Amino acid sequence: MMTPQDIPLYEEVVNGFNRLSAADALGRESSDLRRTRQSAFERFRESGFPTIKNEDWKYTNIARWLKDEYALGGIPGGSGGAAAYGAVAENVRAAVERARVAELDAYIVLLVNGVWQKEDAGGLPKGVELLTVAEARQDPALSGYFERPADGRERYFAALNTALFSDGLFIRVDAGALPAKPLHIIHVFTADHNLLVQPRHVWVVNRQAELKVIESVVTAGVGTGAEAADDKGQATAKIWVNSLTEIIVHSDAKVDHTVVQTPGERTRLVQHTTVRQKRQSLYNNYNFTFPGADLVRNDLQIRLEEDHTETHLYGLYLAAGQQLVDNHTLVDHQKPACFSNELYKGVLLEQSTGVFNGKVYVHRDAQKTNAFQQNNNLVISKKATIDSKPELEIFADDVKCSHGSTVGQFSEEALFYLRARGISEDTAKGLLINAFAFDVTEKIKTAAVEAHVNQLISQHIPLTHA
Amino acid sequence: MANDNEIIDNIANKEYEFGFVTDIEMDVAPAGLNEETIRYISAKKNEPDWLLDWRLKGLQAFGRQKLPEWQNFALPTIDFQKISYYAAPKSKKKYDSLDQVDPELLATFEKLGIPLSEQKTLAGVAVDVVFDSVSVTTTYKEKLRELGIIFCSFGEAVREHPELVRKYVGSVVPYSDNIFAALNAAAFSDGSFVYIPKGVRCPMELSTYFRINTENTGQFERTLIIADEGSYVSYLEGCTAPMRDENQLHAAVVELIALENAEIKYSTVQNWYPGDKDGKGGIYNFVTKRGICKGANAKISWTQVETGSAITWKYPSVILQGDNSTGEFYSVAVTRNKQIADTGTKMHHIGRNTRSRIISKGISAGQGQNSYRGLVQIGPKADEARNFTQCDSLLIGDRCGAHTFPYIESKNNTATVEHEATTSKIGEDQIFYLNQRGIDSEKAVALIINGYAREVLNQLPMEFAVEAQKLLSITLEGSVG
Amino acid sequence: MLIIKNLHAEVEGKQILKGINLTVGAGEVHAIMGPNGSGKSSLASVLAGKENYEVTEGEVIFQGKNLLEMSPEVRAREGVFLAFQYPIEIPGVSNINFLKTALAEIRTHKGLPPLDAKEFLRLSKEKQKLVEFDAKLVNRSLNEGFSGGEKKRNEIFQLAMLEPALSILDETDSGLDIDALRIVSKGVNKLRSANNAFIIITHYQRLLEYIVPDFVHVLYNGRIVKSGTKELALELEEKGYDWLKEEAHENAPTI
Repeated sequence: MMTPQDIPLYEEVVNGFNRLSAADALGRESSDLRRTRQSAFERFRESGFPTIKNEDWKYTNIARWLKDEYALGGIPGGSGGAAAYGAVAENVRAAVERARVAELDAYIVLLVNGVWQKEDAGGLPKGVELLTVAEARQDPALSGYFERPADGRERYFAALNTALFSDGLFIRVDAGALPAKPLHIIHVFTADHNLLVQPRHVWVVNRQAELKVIESVVTAGVGTGAEAADDKGQATAKIWVNSLTEIIVHSDAKVDHTVVQTPGERTRLVQHTTVRQKRQSLYNNYNFTFPGADLVRNDLQIRLEEDHTETHLYGLYLAAGQQLVDNHTLVDHQKPACFSNELYKGVLLEQSTGVFNGKVYVHRDAQKTNAFQQNNNLVISKKATIDSKPELEIFADDVKCSHGSTVGQFSEEALFYLRARGISEDTAKGLLINAFAFDVTEKIKTAAVEAHVNQLISQHIPLTHA
Repeated sequence: MANDNEIIDNIANKEYEFGFVTDIEMDVAPAGLNEETIRYISAKKNEPDWLLDWRLKGLQAFGRQKLPEWQNFALPTIDFQKISYYAAPKSKKKYDSLDQVDPELLATFEKLGIPLSEQKTLAGVAVDVVFDSVSVTTTYKEKLRELGIIFCSFGEAVREHPELVRKYVGSVVPYSDNIFAALNAAAFSDGSFVYIPKGVRCPMELSTYFRINTENTGQFERTLIIADEGSYVSYLEGCTAPMRDENQLHAAVVELIALENAEIKYSTVQNWYPGDKDGKGGIYNFVTKRGICKGANAKISWTQVETGSAITWKYPSVILQGDNSTGEFYSVAVTRNKQIADTGTKMHHIGRNTRSRIISKGISAGQGQNSYRGLVQIGPKADEARNFTQCDSLLIGDRCGAHTFPYIESKNNTATVEHEATTSKIGEDQIFYLNQRGIDSEKAVALIINGYAREVLNQLPMEFAVEAQKLLSITLEGSVG
Repeated sequence: MLIIKNLHAEVEGKQILKGINLTVGAGEVHAIMGPNGSGKSSLASVLAGKENYEVTEGEVIFQGKNLLEMSPEVRAREGVFLAFQYPIEIPGVSNINFLKTALAEIRTHKGLPPLDAKEFLRLSKEKQKLVEFDAKLVNRSLNEGFSGGEKKRNEIFQLAMLEPALSILDETDSGLDIDALRIVSKGVNKLRSANNAFIIITHYQRLLEYIVPDFVHVLYNGRIVKSGTKELALELEEKGYDWLKEEAHENAPTI
């Protein structure tokens, strides 16, 4: 077993934190935020990086990726910060093009390694305000959004992000605002040497407002720089993204949130999203993960802090190669009469591993809760693995909760029916994978985004792998 | 209709029916767990050296193990040194016939509804009774012997059939498996042993009745059942304990071995003392039960009705090694007052075309907490393996909890795993409907619960099913008996 | 067109077909009748190539080729169409996309170029009309949420689109009300020609009032025990199957 001391990144972040605090390099932050960082850092130092002995990481062994060294990026005095990407490089432009959604009329926000490339600003939808987190965290009026109570429960990557984040995107939607266009946030991650980047985003959607966001996560030539090539000219640089987003949906507000993850190889992506829902708010999340990154770990936590909320979570993960895709979701029913529904589907190809862990937690006060959850997996390849763990923890009685999980293959009968109509076995399997994914993609409300996702699916449907 | 609170209060206040103490002179080992205790137990039982060595290895393993932490409740500290690891009714020699058994003891079993005299025995049920640490009597032994079936106390098996015991003991649950299995290996006192020879279908249900009587004792029995090729056996166990303010530990181990084409059906009705309504006293029921389908087409089926114990921690499991073998788990677990039940199963699919089926029904009332925790594991060679799991939880009252933690791990793309779980409140409209037909709420609840648990109860042998049904009604019916 | 010789088949080790002999010529309609469990649907499944059926003896020649050597999709492309007794629902696969794919594969097999979108649409409209198939259903997921009758009509619609040489209708009449039965039959009758053939599997004579067969065969216990013309169907309707069962038993070889 690796001890924290064996992990080069552990040493790098500990030194980084000490350097930052000594130099006051993060600027004019409130004393509460500094305290928050300090205690988060101490918690991280205690917990270290998670191992398979931690129940939440039981099936996701990250040791092999922690053997690499990473430089702490995106902090003042660190490497790979905003300055390095002031002029958006050619490969970043190419990545942006890949992330673009055809025929989507959206306001595009480009972030490179978590830093907003502001020069493209202008024409923002009415009622929507954008700031960099670098500004927001130093603004006394906004500082509270980044602070945590002293007994904060963040551990591992979330604690590490809180201790060391410096930039990201702050969005505020005015009360009652109904923006005409969605925001399309394109996150490009790029590195010419091994790098850890830790963006932090806070989105506040005020009362009776609406926000539609499409997030695309892509990488641009990770490791293609001259420095990063090995003696055969092969790219070797790796990037570890540890991103944390907090979304506050105030009463009667609506948020429609789509995430499309298509980062390339040598990327290790850990994405933490916490959503806090207030009275009668609605939050929809659609999460799509495609082959590419070595590791994708999504932690999606929905905190239903007030009554009568509604939440829909839809996920589709298509994993290939040696990829490990891990989706952890928590729907935390704290108050009465909330409704939540979750559907996650996985297609496992080649030697990939899929992990699903969905927890529904119903507190004693949360009477009249309706919570449903379903996870279905299609294991295509002989060498693929799936670990599924749906969980219900229920402390109130007047509830209706259910979960289901299936692991299986194509229905033999469906396959025979299609073949009996002259369709080849491979094509039939392709059709059935599409059909399997359809339950999720059909839930996307924006036609252009649905078409974009369907196109990504057909790109990866492995007729020859089947 | 009576309001919910009334019903729930009644349920919560139900008293434990089997909580009387039998006044018999006991031979009790001094409290504490150390090499001396182990040697004392082993010497008391005149055990061979290999068994003593095995016990001592268990003791060492126990020293290395920690209490598990994955449960979603705080485990009270257990002082293993305060428990006495051996208690037996005082007698010079083992009983040759029922006439030699202490009449007090017989009366106890009479009260429990366990007839020991063969004339009175329920038709077709052979009974082995374990009182605190030792097996008291085994009925129908002769009749079984004619068929070559061995059904006796564990101690007797060690004496009479050492080759079988030595070959199989610890082969399914090794002494190092977990802290309680290690404790049992070190300190086990007695238990039951069954061997069904090749091709024999055991003509009657075999049954063991366990009872913890003495204060501050733990019961650590060990059951070993071997079904040789093509044989069949149905085995029942039942348990009770008197009311005590202190918690008592029950850390049993059950090992089942089903060879090719053999079938073992293992049924449990567990009604250990659950503690009082404030959660004082009660049994800690930490049991390791595991079976292995060693040969092709073997089948192991676990059925359990769990109504007792302060804390139950139990995951009867099946290792599906033989091709085409089948594992089943049917469970009803009821918690009320401050009871905690954390139970489920593990199905390890190793062989090709293996099948498993899991039906779990949890019922939580009062401040009871009920968890299903289960694992379905499909290995890379388990082609065409299939599992179906259904976990339902029913909540009665707003202070209880129901939790479901299924783990599904598949490494084979030809496997099919289906898991479904639901949690809901007992149907008010159902109660109302029954009220409207003239049935009072208490009876209505009992009716609904029995209907809800039917799928599991149906798996029990007839005589047991009736008992279990009664027990469920008694446990949850408003006035409860 | 189709020659079945001494066909034996089993499923999970159980003998289902015990020596079927049947010859179907172009332009002919054959009805196969028989009591439940006689092997009617099994014969259809064997001809379509369902995997869990194992042919243990005999041969099936379709248009001069050995049908039993072909995969299910090749049989379909060669022109064998099975209208399923219980058409499966495949949520997420749209009816029209499925048909487009199937037709393209069949045309490729025949060396024809795929139809372009416009031609396909025109063909689809024409066939919908022919078999009175609701245009709304065409755009839905394959059979998902269809009523029993709608599923059967969808089978006939597919038959019309794919223009097979040999169509096997497996209890297409079961679960149909009289109106649906009439519509389905009308569709089949319109599709009949001198170049194609039909095998109609049915339990009741009812369907044969609408689709008049040239030949009627009675299948019992895995064998054809009696063959005749459409009058045989009427006789069966009147007398039931029992008299044939007795006859079959009398004629059965003693072991």
